[in-house]
Amino acid sequence: MTTFEVLTWLQDSALAHAISKTDHLVGAGLQIVHVMGLVALLASLLLIGLHVVGLAFKHQPLTDTAREATKLVWWGLALTALSGTLMFIATPKLYFYNPAFRLKMILFFVAVIVQLLLFRKTAAQTSPKPGFARASVAISLAAWFSVAMAGRMIGFI
Amino acid sequence: MSTLYALAEQIEASAIGVAIAESRYAYPIIEGIHLIGLAVSVGLILLTDLRLMNLFMKRVPVVDVLRQLRPYVIGGFIAVFISGGVLFWSAAARMLDSPAFVAKMIFMVFAGLNALYFEFVIAKRAPVQQNHPVLPSSVAYAGVASFALWTLVVMCGRLIPYLPNWG
Repeated sequence: MTTFEVLTWLQDSALAHAISKTDHLVGAGLQIVHVMGLVALLASLLLIGLHVVGLAFKHQPLTDTAREATKLVWWGLALTALSGTLMFIATPKLYFYNPAFRLKMILFFVAVIVQLLLFRKTAAQTSPKPGFARASVAISLAAWFSVAMAGRMIGFI
Repeated sequence: MSTLYALAEQIEASAIGVAIAESRYAYPIIEGIHLIGLAVSVGLILLTDLRLMNLFMKRVPVVDVLRQLRPYVIGGFIAVFISGGVLFWSAAARMLDSPAFVAKMIFMVFAGLNALYFEFVIAKRAPVQQNHPVLPSSVAYAGVASFALWTLVVMCGRLIPYLPNWG
């Protein structure tokens, strides 16, 4: 089966029809969940990042804030991934061939790798090396904010 | 209302308005800046609201959360307002056509008033300033109001293209 056939099959599936053939506000609802999830994800990552580099809450133990905010990161990621997947299933051909969407997915992949290899390690340490901490926070936030930027461009490109 | 609408049409038809609306990359990039500024400003406010509701970072005093996040909240808002202003410039009349945009502006005014009342009245009270273990319930109420209002602002903003007119 070619990619195009897979996308066609997906677009004709019962789930895709259920999402796209109902009221167009269902699609708007998914978009809202996607934005709110993204806001939770980015703001929590920013909070952890500010703490790690010592720009906020210097006198609080790092692991406390990181643990609590990480929960919100997961919630944000779950909401964006779920709503995003449903949006993709509804109109896969629209997204798959969109250059902004492809860029977003590559950046998303990069952001997840950076998160697992760098950011998580740094945030888990009680006193990470300042230079390493600053670099990993900067790279991670840059990656996630680029995902948001590329994502916003999908509708216009 | 009709004068306001005429003015909006003029803004939209101005050279800058047309240039933004017609440029291939400027418009989506400004939309992207609006989204990122929103994630920073509104996102950090929502986290602060969770603290006011005693659901998040309980061990960090409320005054510390407010003070330490303030520069980033303000920085994010500057990005949101400038990008939002530019987006409005390019589609002023279309925005007034959308009930979602009008609702967004109204909720934003209420969110702002709530923030001012919290900042200058509730947060100035002794139990907040001295970080008492049990804070007055007005603190949690202000957090709930802020959380709800800013969420409505974001929801209405995203609904603008889906609810283009009053009909």
